[in-house]
Amino acid sequence: MLKGKKTLKVAVATIAVATLASGLLTSCSAGASAGTITYLTNQDAWTHADPQRNYTGRDIAWFGSYMNRTLTAYDRAPGAAGSAVVPDMATDTGRASNDNKTWEFTLRDGVTFEDGSAVTCEDIKYGVSRTFATDVITDGPTYAIGMLDIPTDPATGASTYKGPYSTDANNDVASFDKAITCSADHKTITFNLKRSVGDFNYTTTYLSFGPVPKAKDTGDQYDLSPVSTGPYKIKSYKAKDQMVLVRNTAWKADSDPLRAKRAFPDKIVVKFGVASEVLDQTLLSDKNKTAVSLDAIQPTNLATLFDADGKPVKKYADRAINVYDPYVTYAAVNVKKLNCLPLRKAIYYAKDFKGLITLSGGQALAGDPADGAIKPLMGLDYAKTGYATNDKDWKPEGNVEKAQALMDEAKTACPELYARATDPKRGITYDTRDTEVAKKAAAIWIAALARVGITIKFNFIESGKYYAVVLDATKQGDLSAAGWAPDWANASTVIPELFTAEGGFPMSQNWDDAAYPAFKERVVANLSQADRKKQGAEWAALNQYAMDQMWIIPGVFSKTQEIWGSKIGGAFFWEPQGSLSFGDLYTK
Amino acid sequence: MNGLATYISRRLGLTLVILLAVSFAVYVIFSLLPYDPAALTCGKNCNDPGIIEANRIRLGYDKPFWEQYWLFLSGLFVGRSFGTGAAAIFCPAPSFGYSFQQHACVTSLLGDALPVTVYLAVGALILWLIVGVGLGIVSAKFRGKLWDTLSTGFVLVGTSLPTFLTGLMLIIFLVIKWDGSPFPSDGYTAPDEDFGQFLLSMVLPWITLAFAFAAIYTRFVRSQILEISTEDYIRTAKAKGLSDGKILGKHTLRAALAPIVTMAGLDFAGLLGGAILTEAVFNLPGMGRLSLKAVVDIDLPVIVATTILAAAIVVVMNMILDIAYAFIDPRVRV
Repeated sequence: MLKGKKTLKVAVATIAVATLASGLLTSCSAGASAGTITYLTNQDAWTHADPQRNYTGRDIAWFGSYMNRTLTAYDRAPGAAGSAVVPDMATDTGRASNDNKTWEFTLRDGVTFEDGSAVTCEDIKYGVSRTFATDVITDGPTYAIGMLDIPTDPATGASTYKGPYSTDANNDVASFDKAITCSADHKTITFNLKRSVGDFNYTTTYLSFGPVPKAKDTGDQYDLSPVSTGPYKIKSYKAKDQMVLVRNTAWKADSDPLRAKRAFPDKIVVKFGVASEVLDQTLLSDKNKTAVSLDAIQPTNLATLFDADGKPVKKYADRAINVYDPYVTYAAVNVKKLNCLPLRKAIYYAKDFKGLITLSGGQALAGDPADGAIKPLMGLDYAKTGYATNDKDWKPEGNVEKAQALMDEAKTACPELYARATDPKRGITYDTRDTEVAKKAAAIWIAALARVGITIKFNFIESGKYYAVVLDATKQGDLSAAGWAPDWANASTVIPELFTAEGGFPMSQNWDDAAYPAFKERVVANLSQADRKKQGAEWAALNQYAMDQMWIIPGVFSKTQEIWGSKIGGAFFWEPQGSLSFGDLYTK
Repeated sequence: MNGLATYISRRLGLTLVILLAVSFAVYVIFSLLPYDPAALTCGKNCNDPGIIEANRIRLGYDKPFWEQYWLFLSGLFVGRSFGTGAAAIFCPAPSFGYSFQQHACVTSLLGDALPVTVYLAVGALILWLIVGVGLGIVSAKFRGKLWDTLSTGFVLVGTSLPTFLTGLMLIIFLVIKWDGSPFPSDGYTAPDEDFGQFLLSMVLPWITLAFAFAAIYTRFVRSQILEISTEDYIRTAKAKGLSDGKILGKHTLRAALAPIVTMAGLDFAGLLGGAILTEAVFNLPGMGRLSLKAVVDIDLPVIVATTILAAAIVVVMNMILDIAYAFIDPRVRV
């Protein structure tokens, strides 16, 4: 699973979420402006508090709710409504022209930093410029680099603009100045893009498209003291200890309709480094009634909280949820190596979905068999494919007859690969992380594929090096365990990322496949599609296309479980960020 | 006294040589690790070889090994700067480098973590010496009686319970489940911030850490005393009509002191390198947590620094012990 990739989820609301959602509508008005909310986490510190480096859904949701305003943002609503893009610092959701290559936003009046100075177009431009300093501002989303109309070095493919810290005489500041322009009154910002981006206002929900005051920028160390534009500001932040947020008195509620009626607590504390078991026990016993866990509940404690159907038991009914997380897990297929559709399909039919899901805790808590790369949460962009539960030939424990028939087909269609796959000495390879669970999963895979004569050999890779190995085409095996969460609330960061050579997560190696050119053409066309409905439907169709080619062996639409104290109100699952609705929480 | 001064200065010189050798060995080991330090500072989205190369130059990893080691050593005395332009960061001497994962000079990370571990280790040491030596004496004196049986039971439990379990049990029952518990549930408070809270936040970690050690020391002290009690000179002392108390204080314990001090010194030095489990369970931001996180994140400058520091502590503690012997046992003073 690609950790840290922004976690998005556009969720099919489970009953739990729906219940919470209806609860929220009444509870919102009940929110009182007082009290302290304490967040608990096992992490020693935030992965990144610097807006240009923040690339995790939960953290974007947290900082976006309390401190970092952006041009546009996701609406604060439960269910699919939360994935709607609404204006935040900008007066509207952006005005596109020039075939969606030019996007213009105007700042509202009264938007300020915590020192009271007005946020200007130049501050946002400076913030975006930091993304280009990829040697200092690491780990953040790089959409600004990919989208802004700035030339790239033909030899290396890197941007000619190197960000604001560069001392290189050839740093292409002029191109950056043309790519983002500011109006004379410093209130209107214009982004000039190198290609049509129909949903650029989803991109601008990223904190990385937010403002940074140049005078306060300390490069790498800005991660420790980011400046606020929201209702709260940092009073103190110490790794392995705590972060304390207090009200930002410079923030003007009337400039911020999204947060105006929501900034409930007077103080927000994040306790870092809490041992996972201590954290779970603190919340299970309701020791701190206004505490909220930032971490998922540990598997060993799930049985205490949820019944066999995955619903919270009575005691925790109003303070725990079990919902889809943003991830889809799958086995990435190296199509260059497994260049044989019947064989790929045979693997899919022979796979023991049931055994693997049971191993990870059962369908109610671990998740449902996936029918593709797009999760049902994606609303517009999801349509059932003809696979997994929608496939009459598919069986949860594997359909041996169907898989055997496909193997017989493979024997004539691709004899060489068939010979390798069925040779006990050679077989096909599967890359996975070196964990205890993965070793047990390997045994299930081996037994399942052995039923149709396929030998599968496991390549266990040390966790920290996993993606470095499998994203290297020379080291990648035939199949590789993977997981992906989209970067924003539609599938524009799923289909192109996973299945095109230029994508950010290209493990499918499918670009020599006969079916690829037609697919690629449709992807490129759809990226510039401005009509969200049409774009969504096309991503769904391309998901079906990729599945028909079996460019991935689908895995699980996975779930996550969260818990909070009994004196916390306003909680619901904020689907586009795949996290709790931090900004709506209040103390009862 | 002149002899002692010579002895100490000789030991000091030797210690410095050992430290230099340790720092070199650690540096060699980490330069041989199959990780590219330039790629590690490049972030997880980094797949541009150009940026990795630029980082290599910026951080000095492009230089030959000897030069890198020299820069590292000289950084300890004159400080070092990392990066260029507006994003440059200077780490003053003694500089162990800069942690890009934690956005801080490694020396300041060590400076934050070391006191916490020292407080933990000192408190635990005092506790386990009192309990361990006390119980050891009692059980040796009442050998085969109820006190001995009870203390053997304590030894059995103490040596078999893993530290993380003891710690978790204490937290769950004395902090979380006990309403009105005086012990804080939210980790560490620095002594200069609130001394009372500091003591309360340290009591359970001290008990947890001391528990296992106290058990080992009880067993050790008991066997030492029993062994020494069979020596001829103890029998002679008894024959001379000395009281039991005097024999214990003047002869038995005196003889048992050297091995106990050696063991305590080395255990203490080992703990200063970090008590990973206790620190993790009780959320204490000490050396153990720092090292663990550095290893998990492959934060090379921090790994190098914590390893060298842990080694230095052991080396220095050995020196102190050797000097202490000179006082405990005059024969050592050569």
